Amino acid sequence: MLKIEDLHVAVGSKNGGGNEILKGLSLEVPKGEVHAIMGPNGSGKSTLSYTVAGRDDYEATSGDVSLDGDSILGLDPSERAAKGLFLSFQHPMEIPGVQTMNFIRTALNAQRKARGEAEVSAAEFIKLVREKAKLVGLDDAKLKRQFNVGFSGGEKKRMEMLQMAMFEPRFAIMDETDSGLDIDALKMVGEVVNALRGPDRGFLVITHYQRLLDYIKPDAVHVLAGGRIVKSGGPELARELEKSGYEQFIEAA
Amino acid sequence: MTALSNPSPFEAAIEAGFAARSETTEAQAAAFDRFAALRLPNRRVEGWKWTDFSNALRNFTPANGAKETAPIAPSPFAALNPIELCIVDGRIVVPDEKIEGLHFGIMEPQAADPGFDNHAMLALNVAMTRKALGFRVLEDVELERPILIRHINKSDAPAFSQVLMRIHDNAKARVIESFEGAGAFYSTLFHMSLGEGATLDRAVLQESGPQSVTHAFFGVLVSRGAHLKQTGLSTGGRLCRHETFALVPNEAATVDIASASLVSGERHADFTSLVRFAGEGTTARQLHKGVARDRARNVFQGKFHVLREAQKTDAKMTANALLLSDGAEANHKPELEIYADDVECAHGSTVGALDDDALFYLRQRGLSEQQARALLVQAFVGEAMESIEDDAARAVFAARVNGWLEENE
Repeated sequence: MLKIEDLHVAVGSKNGGGNEILKGLSLEVPKGEVHAIMGPNGSGKSTLSYTVAGRDDYEATSGDVSLDGDSILGLDPSERAAKGLFLSFQHPMEIPGVQTMNFIRTALNAQRKARGEAEVSAAEFIKLVREKAKLVGLDDAKLKRQFNVGFSGGEKKRMEMLQMAMFEPRFAIMDETDSGLDIDALKMVGEVVNALRGPDRGFLVITHYQRLLDYIKPDAVHVLAGGRIVKSGGPELARELEKSGYEQFIEAA
Repeated sequence: MTALSNPSPFEAAIEAGFAARSETTEAQAAAFDRFAALRLPNRRVEGWKWTDFSNALRNFTPANGAKETAPIAPSPFAALNPIELCIVDGRIVVPDEKIEGLHFGIMEPQAADPGFDNHAMLALNVAMTRKALGFRVLEDVELERPILIRHINKSDAPAFSQVLMRIHDNAKARVIESFEGAGAFYSTLFHMSLGEGATLDRAVLQESGPQSVTHAFFGVLVSRGAHLKQTGLSTGGRLCRHETFALVPNEAATVDIASASLVSGERHADFTSLVRFAGEGTTARQLHKGVARDRARNVFQGKFHVLREAQKTDAKMTANALLLSDGAEANHKPELEIYADDVECAHGSTVGALDDDALFYLRQRGLSEQQARALLVQAFVGEAMESIEDDAARAVFAARVNGWLEENE
């Protein structure tokens, strides 16, 4: 499903003269699995999610990223989205003047159109968005507002989960979706992921803490430090890290 | 009549046009002499340094007498069932219909406010305008249909007009003005008097041809408790200046002014305004949004002048510019001049590019770069269009914004 091979990424320069953040990262998430990435601040977690999603100025100097066997590094962010890649942002932004419903519908239909699927009608869309809003705990009034404007941190994360539920991506990267969430919201995130979980879908959950993993049981846990994966293991690795911290890996990296 | 020394081709055409008139009033002769002394404003004149009419009309070629006779296309505002009046190359076309509570007809033009004696473009308008379009909305009347004034300028000769309107006490009217046609130069002066408790909802759409030069002046008296609501959108013309002068002599009026300009190529849009507060407790909100790309330029000059009598004035002015290319320019001059001590007045001004974080976010969700940019520009400009209450009118403005985005992909 998602395969990252020996990825080197320098940020802030298109000709590779920038600061190298990822230094030979390799990782594979097979179909149907949920993997977690944990790691200290500054280890390259957000750089990894931006690079996979295709943000400008996050360009791979070497290595490859492929989704379902096709390299995606040459694709525009919207083409990656149409292939089913979704990024739940660590800090979702407010976009004043953009009407939430209009934006989500435009995005959904742009993805569908790119895949050669029929567009969703206004009536179908409204039904779907109401159903998903209920699932993530956002009331209808919030959907009528400008995108994320005046939302709390928790509400912005719910809006990320709403979009994930709407788009039903093939592969989702969740970049610290749990940060700033209370227990009820964590449970909601777990429910959204578990409802989507299936044999054709994969997830990469980036987190600092074990607690989200109580609701989303990962198939594997990786430790990212110093720009590469320094250890991989089963769910027990997350609990071990919670106890002993990242200290050992910072030295190892 | 004073002769102009070294006239430019444009000024020579004005001089010949004025000399050829069979009858002119004293006020018109005096205005011509003032124009002859002041001449076309250029960048060295205070208030005109960013919008240089002398330079814009430098390549003016005198009329060769050819007239464009193509029929006038229906207005995009026709769907609003408006009371439609056209001013074609300065000639007034009045419909043959009677509207209850509204009087309109052709009138003699007026002189400008003596406070504007140094305004060369107003002197020019007063000297050259032959007839004015006059309106009266009678007391307590709430006009159901909007009044649509189409300024259609197709001529290669300079064209001039005036509109005089009075909305009596507690009456309510909507006025839409569109600036159309590919003529060379057009000047219009609109005098408005809003009675006590009266409401005017005015929307202006500037979409003249790419070579047109326009000066439009709107002077409005806002009486006690009256409400002036005005929204302007400029996407056309080579160089267009829309000026507003609002005088609030008494208390408790409301002034809402919004404007937006979208310019590309070498185009130049200018929104200049002065609101003078002379009575207590008036509320004013002003918002300007300017989008420029290529080598185009947006100018915003807004001034709140709060006299000593105008205690408890609550006035806020905001101007935001969005620059889509390195060569594009925004010139902002927000000004507060305050003589009262118990007021709340503020202004703010920003200039920036599209937000990279927002662009990436939208693209990650599946929008192409072009779609993402268009959505953010619409969002930026949209705030200034929200003040148009009528959904159908607002839709025409929104369609024009989308049209501009499509033309400038």
